[in-house]
Amino acid sequence: MSLLFDISLFQLTMLMMAPLIIACLGETIIERSGILNVGIEGVVTLGSVTGFLLTYYSGSAIIGCMVAALSGSVLTLLLAYFSVTLRANQIVIGLGIFVLGLGISPTIYRLAVGVVQSIPQVPTLKEIHIPLLGSIPFIGEIFFAQNGLVYLSYFLVAAVSFFLFKTPLGLRLRACGENPRAADTVGIDVARMRYGACAVGGLFLGVAGAYLPLVISGSFTDNIVNGRGWLALMLVIFGRWVPVWSFVGALLFAYVDAFQFKVNALPQFAKIIPPQFLLMLPYVFAMIVLVQVARGAESPRALTRPYDREARD
Amino acid sequence: MKTKWTRRLFFAAAAFAALALAAPGPVLAAKAHKFAIILPGPIEDADYNFRGYEVAQDVKKMFKIETSYSERISPADAERVAREYISSGFTIIGFHGGQYVRLVQKLAPKFPEVTFIMESSAKFKVPKNVWNIHRHYFQAFYPFGVLAGLATKTNKVSVIAGIPLPDFKASINTISDALKATNPKAELTYSFTGNQNDPVKARQTADAMIAGGVDFIINMVNLGVYGVVEAAKKSKRKVLVTTFYTDKTDKAPEHFAGTLIIDFRPPYRKALAGILKGSPGGYVPMQLGVGFEITSLGNVSAEAMKRTKEAYEKVRAGKIKPRLEMKKVMLAK
Repeated sequence: MSLLFDISLFQLTMLMMAPLIIACLGETIIERSGILNVGIEGVVTLGSVTGFLLTYYSGSAIIGCMVAALSGSVLTLLLAYFSVTLRANQIVIGLGIFVLGLGISPTIYRLAVGVVQSIPQVPTLKEIHIPLLGSIPFIGEIFFAQNGLVYLSYFLVAAVSFFLFKTPLGLRLRACGENPRAADTVGIDVARMRYGACAVGGLFLGVAGAYLPLVISGSFTDNIVNGRGWLALMLVIFGRWVPVWSFVGALLFAYVDAFQFKVNALPQFAKIIPPQFLLMLPYVFAMIVLVQVARGAESPRALTRPYDREARD
Repeated sequence: MKTKWTRRLFFAAAAFAALALAAPGPVLAAKAHKFAIILPGPIEDADYNFRGYEVAQDVKKMFKIETSYSERISPADAERVAREYISSGFTIIGFHGGQYVRLVQKLAPKFPEVTFIMESSAKFKVPKNVWNIHRHYFQAFYPFGVLAGLATKTNKVSVIAGIPLPDFKASINTISDALKATNPKAELTYSFTGNQNDPVKARQTADAMIAGGVDFIINMVNLGVYGVVEAAKKSKRKVLVTTFYTDKTDKAPEHFAGTLIIDFRPPYRKALAGILKGSPGGYVPMQLGVGFEITSLGNVSAEAMKRTKEAYEKVRAGKIKPRLEMKKVMLAK
């Protein structure tokens, strides 16, 4: 039982869930407006490097997070420009953004840091124990003894859910993703909504990137994102474009991931299970679950389709 | 008539001169060596690739020859890059990493006028124009097994590696032997995170190990080490870690117990000196004292430091011969 229900296992789950869900929420907002951002990995990587460098030079993680968010937003707005204004193919532009983000990030790092024998580091964010809630046995230690960005992820799940499904603006955004022509006929500026979704979603992606150096490693490396952006993209589908379900998906994936690391570290398992198999486990799990979930999933109907007011359907 | 012959002679001389300059004849090549090194990752990593970059700088300084380097070269791209160097007149090509061994063995017979330097885990039979730098990682990690055995309070020691390379498997085996010989009660666990440079995965692995009671972690990950260090910092229990390639003690002075400095300059100097003296091929063992040094011992007792240094000297002198088992991890019983 302790192998599956260990406090440290759940704490690690929460730690690794946060960047996934923050990125996933950003992508959900963007996709709900009708734009598919397959460049998410590149945007998250850019957020990672800018967040790290600004934290390092300013000494403030808040400034680092803000600049990371801003950089994520700028890169995603580039996608919006090509997708909305120029009506280019979103997959092609998204892949371009992905490559651009992956290429520009180490370049920025090298320009700022140079070739050194000791790489710069920032102090990682400390855990904040929430009074009363943090004292609840088991639950408190898992959910309420985390760093600030994990709490931010809880808040964002609730806030984005509320925004999308309980506010007029959320309804308008969803209308742009479902039927932009209908939205246009009732006076919604589809282009502006899509630009706005990219700007706000990009902020989330940038913060998700900054999370990795500011919470996990204290340093930036080229490989730091290592496919986690793609995972967030997958979790959007897993959650069927509903933030709460994506949150469940992020929790499940992070749990299986933390579990395999725990099993990998146990000598009795190391002898019989090859490490490669264990490393593969979370991804196999994700694939199996995704195949099951994706069967009935319906994406926003206008996803990937550029909207042209004057075009005939 | 005379003008015609003069013109013919002039053209013949010009053609001969052009051919002589274009052909990379042995005499010309020997006079102007050019050295290039191919690196698998970015030079700003302050770790493995930085060490390769240092080699290029050192060769330029020590031997006063033109040098160049190419970074982030995957094994699939390495042949193209090497061929480009060769066609640009580079006469010595170094390959920084065991992943290029097969490529060197393939290219060397095709370019007999070029000298190749490869880094490997064994004393291979290589073509005549290849220098083999044989890295004895398994020997170098032995003293860390002694250090871990003496420093652990919980008797739980771990090794975190990225990819299950033969060098790492062999090193885990020797650490296991040293640990058993020093502290029979101590238990060794190990884990491969699947990536040498992913600090997030390394952090997750280290967190899981620390939660299982481990208080001494021997690092065999490159940039992943920063994740391990963060896990040690966050632990409620005192956790010590070691690192390799470059000294990273300043990142967490209270958590580093030792560093295995791996410096590729000394073996490359030996190879380059041999090449410039006229030996197109050769063998350089890279072992404790030649490229491998244990430094920055700290946060452990004076006794632990003393016995680790003794183990280092004994391995170096050949008085302790660590077991070489590269195929699989077989921990000491």
